[in-house]
Amino acid sequence: METTDLNLFVRTSEETISDWDRSKIVDALMRETMIDRDTAMSISRGVEDLIMKSGIKVVTAPLIRELVNAKLIEKGLESARKMHTRLGMPIYDVDSLILHPNKENANVPHGPEATNLTLAERIKKEFALLSVFSQDVSDAHMNGDIHLHDLGFVDRPYCSGQSLEYIKKFGLNLPHSLSMAKPAKHAEVLLAHLVKFAAALQSNFAGAIGWDAINIFFAPYLEGMNDNEVKQLAQMLIFEFSQQAVARGGQAIFTDINLYWEIPKHFIDVAAIGPGGTFTGKTYGEYEREAQRFVWKLFEVFKDGDGAGRPFFFPKPLVHVTEKFFKTEGHKEFLDHISDVASDKGNTYFVFDRGDTAKISECCRLSFKLDEFDLLDAKEPWRMRYSALQNVSINLPRLAYLAKGDDTRLFNLITERFLLTVKAHKEKRAFIERLLSSGEDGPLSLLTMNRDGMSYLRMNRASHLVGMVGLNEMVQIHSGEEMHDSKKGLKFGLKAIAHMKLLADRMKRQENMRLVLEQTPAESTSYRFAKLDLHYFSPASGRAVKGDIASGEVYYTNSTHLNVGAPMNPIERVTNEGLFHPLIEAGSISHVWMGESMPSKGAIADFVTKTFRYTLSDQIAFSPEFTVCNQCSHTSRGLAETCPRCNSEDVDGITRITGYFTKVSSWNKGKLGELKQRYRNNEYFSEEQERKVI
Amino acid sequence: MGLVKIFYKDDCPKCPLAKQLRDKLEERNVNVLAYNVGTADGLAEASFYSVMSLPTVVVEDAMENGVGEWRGDVPKVEEVLTAIQSA
Repeated sequence: METTDLNLFVRTSEETISDWDRSKIVDALMRETMIDRDTAMSISRGVEDLIMKSGIKVVTAPLIRELVNAKLIEKGLESARKMHTRLGMPIYDVDSLILHPNKENANVPHGPEATNLTLAERIKKEFALLSVFSQDVSDAHMNGDIHLHDLGFVDRPYCSGQSLEYIKKFGLNLPHSLSMAKPAKHAEVLLAHLVKFAAALQSNFAGAIGWDAINIFFAPYLEGMNDNEVKQLAQMLIFEFSQQAVARGGQAIFTDINLYWEIPKHFIDVAAIGPGGTFTGKTYGEYEREAQRFVWKLFEVFKDGDGAGRPFFFPKPLVHVTEKFFKTEGHKEFLDHISDVASDKGNTYFVFDRGDTAKISECCRLSFKLDEFDLLDAKEPWRMRYSALQNVSINLPRLAYLAKGDDTRLFNLITERFLLTVKAHKEKRAFIERLLSSGEDGPLSLLTMNRDGMSYLRMNRASHLVGMVGLNEMVQIHSGEEMHDSKKGLKFGLKAIAHMKLLADRMKRQENMRLVLEQTPAESTSYRFAKLDLHYFSPASGRAVKGDIASGEVYYTNSTHLNVGAPMNPIERVTNEGLFHPLIEAGSISHVWMGESMPSKGAIADFVTKTFRYTLSDQIAFSPEFTVCNQCSHTSRGLAETCPRCNSEDVDGITRITGYFTKVSSWNKGKLGELKQRYRNNEYFSEEQERKVI
Repeated sequence: MGLVKIFYKDDCPKCPLAKQLRDKLEERNVNVLAYNVGTADGLAEASFYSVMSLPTVVVEDAMENGVGEWRGDVPKVEEVLTAIQSA
């Protein structure tokens, strides 16, 4: 039969309708799968017969492709079938996506832009699992042994730490942009450059964008401005970063601003860059007063909240608490000031840099610790740009189900999974290197721009994160006790993380890659792992997962955290969770859930000081809860079903999901389960308000 | 009877002195547990005791209450014995 005899039309993927042409199948097979012409011809004839017998008049390109795939399977050509696979989604799923919000990431609103983002993510996720990662890595992700984070952004690095100095020195001169801007001469222009550059970076990184020492680097631009003008600038900065609902997928840019009261040792003698991108002739040490003025005003804005008095979700202010902090004039007043914001609005993150530690923090807890080479870079701070290429988390409870109480087997399994994450990192790195190799004409042109003798993304400084989910449940399944139950349970948890830390150190040397442990935020992963384990490891998993199985609101405890529902005073929690932090180089946090209590600023300041002095905790945040009324705009303390002022049921709950504030209505089921079980330190803090004893 | 815990590493400058301390204490029938932080067991125990510098020596009484500690330093045998006696 000749194809021209067929009264058949094909809806192609180029949005045209073509006459049936069998040779197109042959061409596609030879181009995409490299099989021989005879086999391709035979397959195309088989597909043509099938279509003719079916009697249909219009076929779609995806249907033809799947029929060809079926023929490839019949012939045992499995690898060719994979190469010939089409990526896409069922019409039902697309319809559902357009109509209903995506709850995988609470920082994605619902709307046409968000739908675009989700659709693109789905396709890239499929592409990643079929084409970027090897079969065993992909399978391990699919079945929940490990989780490859942000697969929908496989063609970009994960998170980054940035320096404002880069745009101060080089202006806004991005590859392929319609115009270039010279270095800013005024503070407001510098802010505009910062916001635009952050948006450009969001298009090139999957996750958070952290800015180092932002109050210090703005300082040279603030000379001559009065306090009201500085406050205005602080307001502009915070509102700009909190209202970017027009950026990628309607998402606000996940922005962290690192702040200091003192000028840290590594910046004190560094030549300051001022208006016009020129050196001012002074060092940053000489701008301490201006830097302090700015950070004070930033926290005044955080304290005020947005136009309705609600807490800002972004940018997240991370204040570094160091030995020098406590020796710097005015630190007591400043600590009270930021503690007041922590109590009232919850924004403040307290990052502890003890001894000679210096770091840039961002994301939900990620931090880049600066080594001796980084501190040399600090002399030219525009060089200080860091990135984590990828984050892979290990499902720890699953290993305990498999080990069946055998220690040796458990630790062997941890090693096996760890080595699999290393393999995943090498594959992602190879893929990113391929994209970067096209330089400024390639897909990651921004990251390859070279303004200072090196590529913007410094691959030699890039790190690879290995995360963990559900250490507490792993210990519980293996030993019968949770980590807060006994010293034995806590020590066993420490041993598992110590094992992972030693593995990371060894693989770092062996593979010459910066492999580091990170406490995975696991906003959706802790839910995903629990759900999959309920499926594969029942009934044992039914006894271990947290949350409510009947409603499906299940989760594993995040990273190395203790059971969030265990009644425990916050000192004990922060102290014991802090024991893990020195083992986890790329960042940790302890949460203090405050519920509706509102401690005095003095109580918070005291807690922070003692956490710095007497624990090893890397970072703490205090999380209050709010109810915002959509009818009368009233914001009240605590999570309520109705507005206490107007009784409206049209209210939103707001609190911290993992490492940022967001509306509870956008949370996934696992996190909702966790929220219900969180032990609030209401009692502790209400007593503390009076007693102020820690 | 008290218990002495010594934390060391294979390649730290002062750690050989800590190993000598262990030998001397054992000669006097003192219970000593030595932890190499290059192993998971050793690193976990060191984390539990918030050991941030090496070597570290910790003395505990029978109830596991701390009665003496030397961080980043090695005490004399007599100092450790005095701490044990105070337990």
